[in-house]
Amino acid sequence: MAKLMPSLVAVALSTAIAGCSPAEQQDPKITINANPYPSTYQILPNSTTLLKNAIVLTGTGERIDDADVLIKDGKISAVGQQLSAEGAVVVDAKGKWITPGIIDVHSHLGVYPSPNAESHNDGNEMTNPVTAEVWAEHRVWPQDPGFNRAREGGITTLQILPGSANLIGGRGVTLKNVPATTMQAMKFPAAPYGLKMACGENPKSLYGSRNELPMTRMGNMAGYRTAFIQATEYKRAWDKYDADYAAGKNPVAPKRDLMKDTLKGVLEGDILIHNHCYKAEEMAMMIDLGKEFGYHAGTFHHAVEAYKIADLLAENGNCAAMWPDWWGFKLEAYDMVLENVAMVDAVKNSCAVVHSDSGVTIQRLNQETAKIMNNANDNGFDLKAEHVIGWITANAAKSLGISDKTGSLEKGKNADVVVWNTNPFSVYAQAEQVFIDGAKVYDRQDPTYQAQSDFMLGQQ
Amino acid sequence: MTLFKKSALALSLSVGLALSCVVQAESIAIIHATVHTATEQGVLTDATVVIEDGTIVAINPASPTADTVIDAKGAILTPGFIASMNDLGLVEIGAVASSRDAYEKEADVIFDPSLAYNPKASTVPLARKGGITRNVVSSGGGEGIFAGQTFTVDLSGDWDSILAANTGLVVALGAKEEGSRAAGMQQLIHKLEDAKKAQAKKSKAKKTADDDSDVPSREDDIINAVLAGEKPLIIAVDRASDILHLIKLKQDLSIDLVLVNAADAVLVADKLAQANIPVVIDSMRNLPESFDSLHNSLENAGKLAKAGVKVAIALPGDSHGIYALRFSAGNAVANGMNYEDALASVTANVADIFHLDSGRIAVGKPADLVLWSGDPFEFSSKVQKMWIAGEEQSTDSRQDKLRDRYLQKTAMPEAYSR
Repeated sequence: MAKLMPSLVAVALSTAIAGCSPAEQQDPKITINANPYPSTYQILPNSTTLLKNAIVLTGTGERIDDADVLIKDGKISAVGQQLSAEGAVVVDAKGKWITPGIIDVHSHLGVYPSPNAESHNDGNEMTNPVTAEVWAEHRVWPQDPGFNRAREGGITTLQILPGSANLIGGRGVTLKNVPATTMQAMKFPAAPYGLKMACGENPKSLYGSRNELPMTRMGNMAGYRTAFIQATEYKRAWDKYDADYAAGKNPVAPKRDLMKDTLKGVLEGDILIHNHCYKAEEMAMMIDLGKEFGYHAGTFHHAVEAYKIADLLAENGNCAAMWPDWWGFKLEAYDMVLENVAMVDAVKNSCAVVHSDSGVTIQRLNQETAKIMNNANDNGFDLKAEHVIGWITANAAKSLGISDKTGSLEKGKNADVVVWNTNPFSVYAQAEQVFIDGAKVYDRQDPTYQAQSDFMLGQQ
Repeated sequence: MTLFKKSALALSLSVGLALSCVVQAESIAIIHATVHTATEQGVLTDATVVIEDGTIVAINPASPTADTVIDAKGAILTPGFIASMNDLGLVEIGAVASSRDAYEKEADVIFDPSLAYNPKASTVPLARKGGITRNVVSSGGGEGIFAGQTFTVDLSGDWDSILAANTGLVVALGAKEEGSRAAGMQQLIHKLEDAKKAQAKKSKAKKTADDDSDVPSREDDIINAVLAGEKPLIIAVDRASDILHLIKLKQDLSIDLVLVNAADAVLVADKLAQANIPVVIDSMRNLPESFDSLHNSLENAGKLAKAGVKVAIALPGDSHGIYALRFSAGNAVANGMNYEDALASVTANVADIFHLDSGRIAVGKPADLVLWSGDPFEFSSKVQKMWIAGEEQSTDSRQDKLRDRYLQKTAMPEAYSR
């Protein structure tokens, strides 16, 4: 009798629980840590700063002359005329221009750093066409001298992406362009991850040359679809686990899969797609691919043919990130037009972005934008400085999912600010002072605000 | 298929000839221009330039007469810009093997890439948008140190636009993927020294035996022209230690030496100026791309010019973006280069370095001219009019046609618009 007792109790207990509350003992809930390499970014020393009497481009389409920008506690406190603030460091910016900090949505600084060397080539995990499991942040070399050069050109925020060899190349990371010794200390707090995907020639030529899929653009599509079918099943398994657990059951957690973790994040809308894709017909296909699997196709990068489908991009809420004039290095980059960005921008609800993909041109996204504005205005457009600045600030922030934090000079936004010696769309423009979260990180006149990487120190 | 291609070619040729006949006959006076001469005359305000038969025949004549008078209304007139050391007309699309002829594995001293030049390449009209009227084309090199010879083209896109072939010998030295850089330097020095010895021996032999049966090889001809200072020796190199060997080589052999890239040139600028060695640089290069180029800087062009080095600004290599040459010059100015030095670095200096007769606005020079809507280095300026050897050029390109096609809104697909 005594021997039977415990099991009887157990049966009774389980019966009772099945009726209204947990029937079995639950193991601890398995959850995936979404942020295992968290930002340790700290705002650099800063003070209340009042920039006086400048021409201000807010990033939201406005130009205010003789205007002041007040920076307080790392945030934009006010933009307007005749501002004052007690105890503020006052900067006479008469004759200068002020813009939001410049944002590059497409950089490989740190993953393909200078100097170019075998030991530094960490941008493409070219071992499988789908490597959603690799993260660019796991190889950002903070000492890349290119970060400093970019800051001298006004870059305050940038997304570091893996290369475009793979169909799905891995996660990108958004950084604040502050000098640091670790990636985490540069990591933009609470910025969503990006996922690098690539259309067209790169994946098919690389894997095709190895007699592997994809050898064709058909194979490219098959590769993405196969990956997202797997991701859909993976997500369904986790959703079921979560639901069963919530229902009081004690389900076995699905086997963890790093690759599918990332794609699941895409399906859940937490990770934003950044898709290297040149051609109109391929972008249209990628938009449908997103619909097929229930995610948003995100931003198209290097979108040389975006002008051919400007309406489609706007209707579907896709940003297009473009160069002003790169072309001809591949057949898919043949149909360049110098007004591409302006033509994409001209459509209602568009999101035109100018990007670099280069350690050289990232230093002059203002000039890249100037090329487009002027070519377009010579051909029937009427674009103004206060509008086009959005291509490298507000729209770029939108593409990265951080427009609630930066990309414009609006009260409450992070005080990421550039003071230019003249109109930033002049070839003679220089960034004179750069602020990140209200902290001065560069001053063209003051060597104490000119960072140098460990690599360059002492070179002769 | 072959027949079709041939007849199309013949047709274009005849149209081109007919046009050039008509235009060549007339004279043009450009009046009220702000003329940047790129000569010691400097800038002439409210000036007149007269061109006839492809040549500048008068500047500020007492009473200009011409078939056509163009009122510049104060706009800036410059010499046509000259790009250099790129693969214009040799590559249509970089990644399409059948459309590229710039790289030749077996390139050597005699390699002549001008035989591959395509004046109808889609890169040519786009380059004209940048006010570029001439270009010094270089191959992309090969496995060895010799990259063959440069050639010069005008940017008319006409079938006869090669102005001169085999104009300079190109060599690539410095860091290597495998092996030691010393081998390349040694190969070059020995090649020149041995040829010099052979010349001496030969002239001695001639005096005694009068033996002229020994016909020099094609390679000997080229090396001898280099040794005679008739043909520039154009060396792509970056590190100062390499540059110093080359300065010595120039001093020993009195050759016409030109450096390209030359990241470290700024470290030995005084020596280069003293040895009269010009430098062709990409003024936008400011990253330490390799251990040979730790001293790249936006300020280098200006610093070299200030030190007395003759500087040409170029966008070496790929030619798809050379229209932007003027912006490189503008950035050099923004980073310390004197404005007229920067203008010379894309006109007169390039002409001097590569032995061209253009690059200046002076009587007797070819009428390669550009009339600008504003400061030629600014984004807000564009080419208003341009002439190559007196012939007015269009800046319309394939890119413009694509733009216009997609700006049109019609009920029918874009494919129906021209």
